[in-house]
Amino acid sequence: MILNVHQATFSYHKTPVFQHLNLTMDTQGIFCLFGPNGCGKSTLLECLLGYLTLDAGDIHWGQKSLKKMKPQEVARHTAYTPQNHVKSFPYTVLQVVLMGRAAYQGLFQSPSQEDEAMAWEALKAVNMTHYAHTPYTQLSGGESQLVMIARALVQDTPVIIMDEPTAHLDFRHELIVLETIVKLVKEQGRSIIMSTHFPNHAFYFENAGVPIQVALMEKGDFTAQGSPREVLNETNMRDTFGVRAHMVHYGEDTDNTYTQLIPLSLLPRPSTDGGDQGERMIT
Amino acid sequence: MKPLMTLPIMVRRLLLVTFPLAALLLSVFIGRYPLSIYQVLEILSLPFFGRGEELPAMHQTVIWQIRLPRALLGAMVGASLSASGATFQGIFKNPLVSSNILGVSSGAGFGATLAIILFGQGTMIYIFAFLFGTLAVVFSYLVARHYRTTPTIMLVLGGVVVSSIFSSLISLAKYVADPYTDLPAIVFWLMGSLATARWEDITTAGLPMLLGVAGLMALRWRINVLSMGDKEAQSLGINTTLTKGFLIGSASLATTGAVCVSGIIGWVGLIIPHIARILVGNDHKALIPASMLLGAGYLVLVDIIARTLTGAEIPLGILTALIGGPFFIYLLKKTKGGGW
Repeated sequence: MILNVHQATFSYHKTPVFQHLNLTMDTQGIFCLFGPNGCGKSTLLECLLGYLTLDAGDIHWGQKSLKKMKPQEVARHTAYTPQNHVKSFPYTVLQVVLMGRAAYQGLFQSPSQEDEAMAWEALKAVNMTHYAHTPYTQLSGGESQLVMIARALVQDTPVIIMDEPTAHLDFRHELIVLETIVKLVKEQGRSIIMSTHFPNHAFYFENAGVPIQVALMEKGDFTAQGSPREVLNETNMRDTFGVRAHMVHYGEDTDNTYTQLIPLSLLPRPSTDGGDQGERMIT
Repeated sequence: MKPLMTLPIMVRRLLLVTFPLAALLLSVFIGRYPLSIYQVLEILSLPFFGRGEELPAMHQTVIWQIRLPRALLGAMVGASLSASGATFQGIFKNPLVSSNILGVSSGAGFGATLAIILFGQGTMIYIFAFLFGTLAVVFSYLVARHYRTTPTIMLVLGGVVVSSIFSSLISLAKYVADPYTDLPAIVFWLMGSLATARWEDITTAGLPMLLGVAGLMALRWRINVLSMGDKEAQSLGINTTLTKGFLIGSASLATTGAVCVSGIIGWVGLIIPHIARILVGNDHKALIPASMLLGAGYLVLVDIIARTLTGAEIPLGILTALIGGPFFIYLLKKTKGGGW
């Protein structure tokens, strides 16, 4: 078992974000959290990191309870790439990646030659070696994301948590990040827990032959869990997002089947207060 | 700054080390008491060749008991303020803060004032200065943190508010203090000056500075990680509360020691780290020692000016502001955000 979340409950200033959540990740691969804005995905990820503390319930990484793990121990097990990294000082790319080695330094130590070699390896893995000495404040969004992934890689953890790793990326960089994730799972045997807004990311991983599990989250609850085809189907898209979608399979008769979800149109949906059933235009 | 940046890193490091040493040496040779270069050299060589009897005792006192301790103490003050400034800038991810702006200096000033009123002279002054200096940063931080957005501007504002509250409290304390005994002690203490520097000061005020700076040096690489923000720093394996607490405590200790020697001196902790960044980059592993070396040399130089420019001594704080303010404007124009 990789991760087990049992009856997790969390509130922000008495406003419940999620209650009695259960989640199990049994095998190495990708766990994809999927759901509308504000459904509690990021909050759940931050709880998994130990940055936020659950009000009730348990999180187990392997056999170990998160409550009993110190930040250093968590960091040797789970790395993290944030959704929005706020840049402060123009550190070089290499310096940023080296910070991924913090969990392995003694209190008064700083990274060694060995750590630096690992940082170069990580930069190589994301094809960013030529930027090693560039101030990372000068990088584009996509390049920055790759640096964050490299920083997570040198943390040398079995699990990496990624909060919307493709947010605000251009067409090409989106695919670069997705391919990198596939590589990490297939070649390095890491497990990825990520949130995303795009159903087709989940299908991309499935198409690439990576073991993937999807959980559909809505208003702090899992409404469906399973394979991308089971969870991200036309019915769920309609119920959760009010979107009429069509699942297509391309090349079914060949070895490579590509599944994609095509969004067709918005559906009128009942207003949330329940009183007015009038068709509201979503603009 | 351009020519400095183009120098190879080894040369820049060498300059960094030579600068404070040169300033220290210069300060031994320069002063209002007329001593020729040859006389100074003769006195300096005494411990090695021992012909002390032939030299006037007065000359020896000027060098060994006045100029040297003063220069050393000045160097320590400069190093402490600069290292603290660089640390605060790093952990608060904000290039515009320093011990002064965060209220440490005025907090320490108030602590000392309170201690003088309550206990008279003594070690309690140092303890109170440290306690209130630390309290001030924590307050400034809490004011900024109250808003969940990035506390860049809030931190500066919080510091301004806390600073001004403590300044008012100092005024209040002066107002109620006994005008014949306590008040002169408070005023004398707050103004501060290296003029009275003696070897004993290096042990009393030097100790907190040394301890504080040692703490900053020990954990300096972790400032990099902390500057990624709490969430990321923790996910990278740092206990943010403890590490920040230790660093803020060390920086406050160093600042308090400096304030105890020289009163509230502005601008050093703000500007020196910026120059150091231009020289060695942003990695705090190099930045903290570079700031210390630069700050030490800078303050010794400013002190030389302070005690030789006019017949009467100019308070250090006035000079650092007169030099620092315009220089900061120059830096802002030059870097235009690209520098940090």
